[in-house]
Parts: sequence; structure tokens; C-alpha cells
Amino acid sequence: MIRSRFSILSKRRLLVFWWTALWSLSACAQELGEGVQVHGFISQSAVHNSDNKVGGNSDDELAWDLRELGANLSWRPNPDWLISGQALARWAGDSDEGELRLDYGFIDRTLIADGDDQIGVRLGKIKNPYGFFNTTRDVAHTRPGIIMPQSIYLDRIRNFLLSAPGAAAYGNHASDRMDCSWSLAALRFDADDADLEQLFLLEDRPGKLVSDTSWIAQVMSEIDGGRWRIGLTLGDVNMHFEPSAGMALLFPLPHPLHLDGGRNRLLPYVLSLEHNTEKYSITGEYSQIKHDSRDYGSSALANGLQRPNTIEAWYLQATYRPTPDWRVYLRRDEVFLDKDDRKGLLVSPGFPGFAKFAKDWTLGVRYDVDSWSFSAEYHKVHGTLWLSPLDTPLSSQKERWDMLLLQAAWRF
Amino acid sequence: MQSLGLWPNNWTLSGVTLLFSLFLSSGMAGAVDVIASKSVSVNSLSLASARAIFGMRQVKWPDGSPIRVFVLPDDHVLHGAVCKERLNIFPYQLRQSWDRLVYSGMAQAPSQAMNEEELLIKVAATPGAIGYVRKVKANDPVKILNIE
Repeated sequence: MIRSRFSILSKRRLLVFWWTALWSLSACAQELGEGVQVHGFISQSAVHNSDNKVGGNSDDELAWDLRELGANLSWRPNPDWLISGQALARWAGDSDEGELRLDYGFIDRTLIADGDDQIGVRLGKIKNPYGFFNTTRDVAHTRPGIIMPQSIYLDRIRNFLLSAPGAAAYGNHASDRMDCSWSLAALRFDADDADLEQLFLLEDRPGKLVSDTSWIAQVMSEIDGGRWRIGLTLGDVNMHFEPSAGMALLFPLPHPLHLDGGRNRLLPYVLSLEHNTEKYSITGEYSQIKHDSRDYGSSALANGLQRPNTIEAWYLQATYRPTPDWRVYLRRDEVFLDKDDRKGLLVSPGFPGFAKFAKDWTLGVRYDVDSWSFSAEYHKVHGTLWLSPLDTPLSSQKERWDMLLLQAAWRF
Repeated sequence: MQSLGLWPNNWTLSGVTLLFSLFLSSGMAGAVDVIASKSVSVNSLSLASARAIFGMRQVKWPDGSPIRVFVLPDDHVLHGAVCKERLNIFPYQLRQSWDRLVYSGMAQAPSQAMNEEELLIKVAATPGAIGYVRKVKANDPVKILNIE
């Protein structure tokens, strides 16, 4: 695998890179004209792992491969129209190598804005509302920690889940006691993703995953000015596998690794609940994703892949803010690839049982000053489900591991 | 760029600011007025509308004209006061909801004034503007909006 160009930069060059990025971004941190705004964010993390790799080469050494850089432009020509787009580059080991991409870009038209009620539509590449945090998961300031709770926001399917071209309808109803918003989107996710193939087909197979029309819906209520936030996300995500010519050449029937053009369907739901007081926040989310895989044929591999499974995930985080600038948080985060096999006993040869779950304790601290945010986070993890096999191959994964992360982030 | 090396001082300073702001907000309840440009046709807002406007979700007045929101920095005493006393929301929550909207492209950010004087001048001079000050004086060129 080719390593990121930036992962081999010396620390001095890394510093020059960020200095230039900061300098050029802060120069445009302005309201450009009537109704036009520019915003952006950057973050740089350092990772130290006892074993395994997260975001690059972090096994028992300090890695600097986790960083994010983004800028957005929005234009509101009048109150009923909003046009916005964001460019993003992200580095995270071998799964993300800093290529610049369009994170979102859409037109938003408000159809009804009648006092306390609002209804509108969005068309273009839209961020997917999934749980509390998915829409801004790459902006360090908006995350509940340095890395997202991996149970619900698995970075392995991040690129796939993040945003997608489609159309969405949304609405909002506000009353003094409660603010209720909803959205319904029809999308085509980008399913041609190496990490996704690893997750559904266990490794890179000859062929590719192609997205079919998918749906995602969310209802979110804020009670008493956000003292309570309650949300439900539902999805119906569809894709199919198109074998390439290599399949018939390398694995002709009746080869045990032969795959026909199969279909995968994910039916996720996420329940989200948060309670906020001035000094404390308790945030929890619970999710199940029903995974159905069919039409892959009758080879040994196909039979293994077609065993239906339900991913179960939850986390609970308590955050304490002794002052407005400081926060300390403790999180328990658990995810199981198959809720009927939480211990990972039903596995094929070469697939370690502990790669079917991950259970994590996280303790973190964050300090905000002006537009900056500095954080430190310690993880004690049992299981390797979150790890991308692109960074840490299954054969070299260790069951129990610790991780220390440091992060500096800036936004405007 | 701020240095982390200064944290013990900042810690103390933040603590003092917090105590001071708690003292101020409890001792001066009702001491912050929501103001608007004189061009704005309404004289009062429901709590839900006020939250939606400062939360950047409601972007036009009932007559269809655009709303321009002006705020003070997050750590300004008056910003804390308007959040808690007028909008019944914590300042960190307002910041979180702005960030969620701004970085997903779903809304724009409010305009920030560095201090109360600048905010008053901008609200007075901008058609459709809304903001807040400690106390409106008799000859200030803005109107007070009641929040009901």
C-alpha cells in the first residue's frame, strides 16, 4: 500500500504546511459580501497506541497521520434560497490520504416559513443526518471527543455514510416548550469504498460495490431550549456487488471464493438522547443495523457472507464543564458486529473473534480558547472491530490495546 | 496563537470570569434588552421565535424581509445573559447548534460584534437587524423587542 505523502514529511515540513494553511485560511475568514460567508476548520492529532494502528503508523510510536482541513462557502441571495458547499481533505492512515473532495454542495429552498413552521427542500450532495453528530463529524470543535464514538460513527464506513448526492425534504416546528425538526432524504451513497468492501466482503474482491437508491430519515426534538434532546434516525441503505472479469478468471465456479453479483441491504435505526445542564451533559445513543446479504451464489465464501447479522452499538458519555472553557468527559462505547454472537465465537478461519466487537473506555479533557481547541484522550479498548484492516491487517491485530490521542484544532 | 503554557493563569481567570458572570446574571436579572433595527415591523417575539432567530433557523421577518443577527463573543458576559435570561438556553448549546448548521451548510453564522457599542451601531445601521445590549438608552436609534 502506498503511504500518504504527508506521513513521511518531517515535523518541520508539517509545521510549515499548517502555518501556510492557517495563514491562507485566516486571510479569508470574513464575510465576503452581502449574504456570502466563508468558514473553515483544521485539526492535527498525535496518536500513540500500545498495539494496532489507528490513522496510520501508530503501533508503539507517536503518529502524526490524523489531520483534517476544510473550508466552506455559503451564499444566501434572499431568505428563501441558500447555496452552500464545502471542500474537505482528511488524512487517516491508509484509509484516507488527504485527497481534496467535495464534502457537500447543495441548493436549499425554503418553501414555507410561516412563523413557527418551516418546510424546505435540498438538492445536491447533502450531509446525512445520522444520530447527533454525523453531519459535522470532521469538524473537531463539534465532536464529543477527539475521535467519534466508534460504535455508532464507525470510521470504517465514514466515507460511505458521510454525505451523498440526492434530494431531501426537511421541516421544523417550534413552540416555546419544544422544537421539533425532521428530514427525509433519498440518496445514492458512494459504495465504491475499500473499507466498505472489507467490512461486507471481508477483503478486496474482484469487482466493486455499487450504490442503489437509499433512504434516510430523522426526527429530532429539543425540549426546553435543548435541556433534553431526543432523536430517531431510520435508514434503508441498498447496494449491489458487480463482479469484474477477474472474478471468472481467478475464481471460476465452483471455486470456494467465487461470488456472483449479490446485493446488500442495511436497515439501521439510531436512538439518540441527551440531557444538558450548565455544567453537565449526558449523551447516549443506541443503534441496531440489520444487515441482509443475498444473491452472492453458493460458494463457501458466499454462504458465509450471506449469514444475516445485526450490528448492535451504543455509547454513553458524561461531560463535565467546570468552567465554560474546560470540559472533562468519560465514555463507554460498545459495538458488536453480530448481536447474536457478542463474544465472536462464530468466525471463519483466519478471522479473529475479537474483530467482531470493540468495547472502549474513554477519558478525555478539552480546553477551548478563542477559536482554538486543545484535547487529550485516553482509550482502553477490548476488541478490534473499529480498526481498518487497511491499517492493521486481521492477522496482526491484538485483542486488548490502549491509545492516547492529542489534538489541536482551529476553526473560523 | 495562544500558548498552552499559560493554562494555570487562564484557569484562574476563567474561574473568576465565571463567578463574576454568575454574580452578574443573578444580580442583574432582566438587565439585557433584545433590540432591533427601527426598520423591523414587529415589536415582540415569542420565545420560540427568538430562539429560532438567534439559533439562525428563522431567517426572515413576518413581512418577508431578511433577518440579520448580531451577537457578542461567546465569553462576553452579556452574551451569557441574553442566552440564559432571554432565550432560556446555555451559551455552549447555542454555539453547538450554530456549528452544526454552519459546517453542514444548512445555515449561516450570525455576525459578531466585538463589543456592545459596535453591536448597537451595527444593529441601528442594518435593515432587519437584531441584537442585544445591556440597557437601551432613551435616544438610542434602535427599538426594544419584547420576548413573550
